[in-house]
Amino acid sequence: MTPTDTYSGPAIELIEVAKHYGKVTVLDRVDLTVAPGEFIALLGPSGCGKSTLLKLIAGLDELSHGEIHIAGRLANYLKPAERDVAMVFQNYALYPHMTVRENMGFPLKMSGIARDIVTAKVDEAASLLQLNAQLDRFPDELSGGQRQRVALGRAIVREPYVFLMDEPLSNLDALLRVEMRAELVRLHKRVGRTTIYVTHDQVEAMTMANRIVLMKGGVVQQVGTPAEIYATPANTFVATFVGSPPMNLFKGHIGGAQFHGSFDIPVPARVTSGDVTLGIRPEHVEIVEAGDKEGLAATIDVVERVGPDAYLRMTTQAGATVTARVDGASRAREGERVALRLPPARLSFFDAAGNRMSIDKEG
Amino acid sequence: MTAEQHARIRVRQRRRREFGRHLVLGLIAFILVAPFYYVLLASLKDSTEIFSYPPKLLPIPPYFGNYRDLLWNTGFLRWMFNTLFVATSVTVLKVFLDSMAGYALAKIEFTGRRLVFLLMVILLMVPIGALIVPLWSMVSGLGLINTYWALILPPLANPLGAILMRQFILGLPRDLENAARLDGLSEFAIYWRIVLPLIKPGLVVLAVIIFTDQFMSFTWPLIATTSDELQVLTVGIAALRAHGGANYGVWSASAVMSLVPIGVFFFVLQRQFLARSLAGALKQ
Repeated sequence: MTPTDTYSGPAIELIEVAKHYGKVTVLDRVDLTVAPGEFIALLGPSGCGKSTLLKLIAGLDELSHGEIHIAGRLANYLKPAERDVAMVFQNYALYPHMTVRENMGFPLKMSGIARDIVTAKVDEAASLLQLNAQLDRFPDELSGGQRQRVALGRAIVREPYVFLMDEPLSNLDALLRVEMRAELVRLHKRVGRTTIYVTHDQVEAMTMANRIVLMKGGVVQQVGTPAEIYATPANTFVATFVGSPPMNLFKGHIGGAQFHGSFDIPVPARVTSGDVTLGIRPEHVEIVEAGDKEGLAATIDVVERVGPDAYLRMTTQAGATVTARVDGASRAREGERVALRLPPARLSFFDAAGNRMSIDKEG
Repeated sequence: MTAEQHARIRVRQRRRREFGRHLVLGLIAFILVAPFYYVLLASLKDSTEIFSYPPKLLPIPPYFGNYRDLLWNTGFLRWMFNTLFVATSVTVLKVFLDSMAGYALAKIEFTGRRLVFLLMVILLMVPIGALIVPLWSMVSGLGLINTYWALILPPLANPLGAILMRQFILGLPRDLENAARLDGLSEFAIYWRIVLPLIKPGLVVLAVIIFTDQFMSFTWPLIATTSDELQVLTVGIAALRAHGGANYGVWSASAVMSLVPIGVFFFVLQRQFLARSLAGALKQ
């Protein structure tokens, strides 16, 4: 029995966690509370500090500032093995000189668990991950997907309080990645442990996580459910990082309930005057027939067909580029003249600093 | 000319080139092997036969008197024991210490790590001749002259092994240690249970280098020991002349006999080393 068995507070609590290397700040005062059983994705571009944050939680790197609580215990000074966490590494980090069975059983063996219990737990994890036939093989005799499963198995056998995963699918090919993604979600539901999952792939984050922590330059940009992050991005970075194609953004200013920029459109009266960036998701851009009085005249430059959807890249008369997502069966042609409608209810507004304006929270 | 004639000319040219290549390689092989054969031949002839003209290229009938003299009338067996004892001790200790030092230099953050490494590299450039006098006075000051310690301790300080091990260990992914840390391993356990097994080819290379170096070492053992009991092969064989005049037959026999252990050592480890490194190469 670990002390975590009777604990019912947040699984992980990060308070003003910061990491500096000399004068370089890699993580800047990160606050985060993770509920037990939650699947959290740390999402962001390369170098945003997401892997560093994961390593700090694991205890593989030292904090420069702040506190990390795991299962209510201050973990700052605990060794990695004392934190009751298991980690799955990007390059699997399997011990090449040990068989699959030895790799999976190694953490248990190190904690002094009896051999027959180790064998039973390894067998159980192997059946869960369909690795029974590979137990006596060495890592270099396995395929990428199998290695990935062994890495997962090594984490599962420990029955940790928290799973930490550092881009575990990034070395797999596209098809296998989709398969493993679903497998990981199933596994999380079955095992029910708190999981922190680092990825730079927004699709992984959106499809797997209960909540996403979006990071850039060591700073948390937004924490929210995938739907929240997609629908109400906290700033222009989130708006463009999440969603493919990204949100359309237009610079301009507000005056008299009108947006004035490369085109003029009416906006809700609650939007305060001043410089703004107006945003709209491609699927919310409505295409109407050319000549529509309320529409913006535009020309289709490129039609990208991606199966069920088609992306129309267009230029308005004033030279603004707009992307729209329409049905894949659309008969839109390159060079065609159309009119665009940007429904006011679907618009997002960002202030001069790029932060979401409070109007949307009210609306 | 038809295509067939062209092809025939090409084949002929290729054969000629190959013959030339083999001729050069054969010549090099002859230059390398001939002295060994000459020594082997001389060890199996008596002293009059060695200088007879024309020389006999096959030792028929072979004469084993040189080997008998070497084994029973000189300190050869003692020298061999001393050499094997010193070389093995140095090899075992040095492989262990160098791999630990290499691990520390490659993976542990400590103040002055770069400086230590730099000093070790600089030390490599100091010739042994410049070190011998201070080394002798140190060893003598410690009262170790004429002991096995005098032969075993000084070679341990050679930085080459630690530098070599550092390079090997640097190649291991950092996540492996991190995984081991999460598995609850101490720093020494990571070195012992994870790093050592993974750098086995490197350890074998290092062991071969150290063992052969010690086996052939002459200057330091000559200076550090004066007692007959502690003489190593190189010193003992060189001293044969002083003891019994120039007996080329016995000399040759001693050369042949001293090749045996190092040959066996090299052969066994080399096979293992080749098997391991080839396996790794193919898997990549």
